[in-house]
Amino acid sequence: MVVVRLVNVTKIFKTGVVGVKDINLTVNHKEFMALLGPSGSGKSTTLYLIAGIYKPSSGKIFFDDRDVTNLPPKDRNIGLVFQNWALYPHMRVYDNIAFPLRIKKLPENEIRKKVLETAKMLRIDKFLNRYPWQLSGGQQQRVAIARALVKEPDVLLLDEPLSNLDAQLRISVRAELKRLQKRLGITTIYVTHDQAEALAMADRIAVINNGRIIQIGTPEQVYSKPATIFVGGFLGNPPMNFVEAEITEEKQGLYMLLSGQKLTVPKHYEPLVRKAGLRKVVVGFRPEDTAVIPECRETGECIKGRVYAVEPMGREYIVVVDLGGDLVKAIVPRSLVLIEDQEVCVCPSLEKLVLFDPKTEKSLETLYAEKT
Amino acid sequence: MAKSNLFSKIKGFVRSDAFIFLLPAIILIIVFYLIPIAVSVYMSFTPLRNWNIQRYIHEFVGFENYWRFFYMVTHDPTVQPIFITTVVFIVVTLIVNVLGGLGLAIATFFMGEKEASGTQLLWLLPRMTPIAVYSMIWYYFFHGSAIGTLNSILMALGIIHHPIDWGQSIIPWGPWMIIIFVNGLVGVSYGMIVFTSAISNIPKELVIAARVDGASNWSITKNILIPLLKWHIVYVTTWQMLSLLTTYDHIFLLVEWGLVNRYWGTTWALYIYNMAFTAAEKDLGLAAAAGVILVIVGAVLGLLALKIMGFDKMVKEPRGDI
Ligand SMILES: Nc1ncnc2c1ncn2[C@@H]1O[C@H](COP(=O)(O)OP(=O)(O)OP(=O)(O)O)[C@@H](O)[C@H]1O
Ligand SMILES: [Mg+2]
Repeated sequence: MVVVRLVNVTKIFKTGVVGVKDINLTVNHKEFMALLGPSGSGKSTTLYLIAGIYKPSSGKIFFDDRDVTNLPPKDRNIGLVFQNWALYPHMRVYDNIAFPLRIKKLPENEIRKKVLETAKMLRIDKFLNRYPWQLSGGQQQRVAIARALVKEPDVLLLDEPLSNLDAQLRISVRAELKRLQKRLGITTIYVTHDQAEALAMADRIAVINNGRIIQIGTPEQVYSKPATIFVGGFLGNPPMNFVEAEITEEKQGLYMLLSGQKLTVPKHYEPLVRKAGLRKVVVGFRPEDTAVIPECRETGECIKGRVYAVEPMGREYIVVVDLGGDLVKAIVPRSLVLIEDQEVCVCPSLEKLVLFDPKTEKSLETLYAEKT
Repeated sequence: MAKSNLFSKIKGFVRSDAFIFLLPAIILIIVFYLIPIAVSVYMSFTPLRNWNIQRYIHEFVGFENYWRFFYMVTHDPTVQPIFITTVVFIVVTLIVNVLGGLGLAIATFFMGEKEASGTQLLWLLPRMTPIAVYSMIWYYFFHGSAIGTLNSILMALGIIHHPIDWGQSIIPWGPWMIIIFVNGLVGVSYGMIVFTSAISNIPKELVIAARVDGASNWSITKNILIPLLKWHIVYVTTWQMLSLLTTYDHIFLLVEWGLVNRYWGTTWALYIYNMAFTAAEKDLGLAAAAGVILVIVGAVLGLLALKIMGFDKMVKEPRGDI
């Protein structure tokens, strides 16, 4: 029963490097929160702050209503899994898992019971007599998780635990881990730089960049309503397309000019664009929400372009279209036959496109929400 | 059969790449180790005296020098203390060196960066100070007169009322204490450096993980650091033992200056040195025989140490057949 709460947490290292700045984050009881960001963005720093390995330079950390800001790691009852797993190389699997309980001086028969139980749950009970170096990567990773879980922590912290596994294993382990987390109901914070992993596993995602949290939301929210250009570009494969456009006003309403061609400003965006008084916007649209048709009509819903390349992806094709200098991607069914340099029409779904302010790179919704 | 097999093996080795890489080391070993040993062995079978090489070099006396050496060890009351001193000196100094080095490395690991490098520098000083200067410091420290540092401190504190001649009067503990103290202090830094660099190679996540689980400094030391330093401990112990077996420089000065009793402060290596270079009658044949036996003892002890402390177990099976 633990809610983890970070309030205005900043960590500046002795070297003057800013690890994280003004982090505000609440992870609810039983929630699976992914901390997603590129390398060096401060993910591990955030995790270590929650674990108590780093002390914040300012700000506070709460577990429920308990202020744990100055509590040492051992008094926080957390389970931590490292990126490189940090298994003790000189101990057998059994002793590795038993270590946290031995430190707590539990009786040996109770330790035995708990270790066996946890090992069985993670299906590593066959390897208890082996040394870590005699295990495969996937097995070692499970031992590391077992060692974190055996002491029944209130909070489980995972620092890119799957990044040393191959792609196949990663996908199977990630489903397993999610089930396990739901079954045990432990508040979990999961650090990753893999957007697919975060989208697949998390209840909510916190996107972090340059030591700041940029957006927190469900995978659906973060994916379809990115708060900044960075978030839109970081999530999705291929990521969101971004094209700069000029705003013009006509009798029928507002239009965006993309390389001289008109695209209607979606009705729900009109008040926002007017309120912000923007002359230029960045239009963001996802490749899968973009139709490509061979013939164009003048409707204000499509932009003419030229096929730049076609990438077969198995199930579907990715078409790269040149819109007067801007390359955009769209996912199209295999039935659509396109050849290079062919003229086509790109039609982003008007309901799903997102408009950003070119200066702050924030979505207009975010900009508006901040102003009020 | 076996002979031609060995011959073809050697030929194969000489033609291999490994040989080219090992060539410089092989030359060094031959020039600085095998040739001197061969010369010593040769000398130990001659009645060579006072460096009168022309006269004695072609005379052979067989094992006579070795018999004389064994006779002296078993019968000469001035030689027996040398072996007792050597054993006590090596065992105690070795313990001081290895445990001291390990203790310092681990202690500095848990310290802040500044304190750690300060402490390490302090313990490196004995190693960096020239031997004569360093010996001089301890000469004055343990000096038997009232101006000796130790005596004057103890007298000022009222613990003793008359100066004690530490190295000459309390036989054998006084001289032993001094040579062990002086060499122990020099040797600690070696273990400290080896262990410190070994500890810095232990992934810090291992220590953090243990900390998160609530492990104390002592439990981290006992359960993680020391097991992971096992091989380094074996290595430092073996290396220090062999170097203590052959060291004599500090002891030589302390004995020459009269601080330490000659009979209970001389070790085997110093005894050989004195017999060959400083004695009035330089009995080089005997010195060479004592030296050859020292080398054999060293080799046996070295191998034994590696065996007992499980060197072969430490070299773990590699993953992959490289
Ligand atoms: N102990 C430290 N001392 C000084 N700077 C540090 C320290 N640890 C991290 N940093 C710096 O803080 C920033 C954030 O580091 P952090 O380890 O949190 O990144 P990360 O998001 O976990 O990256 P990765 O995905 O590569 O692990 C980086 O610029 C890093 O160089
Ligand atoms: Mg990291």
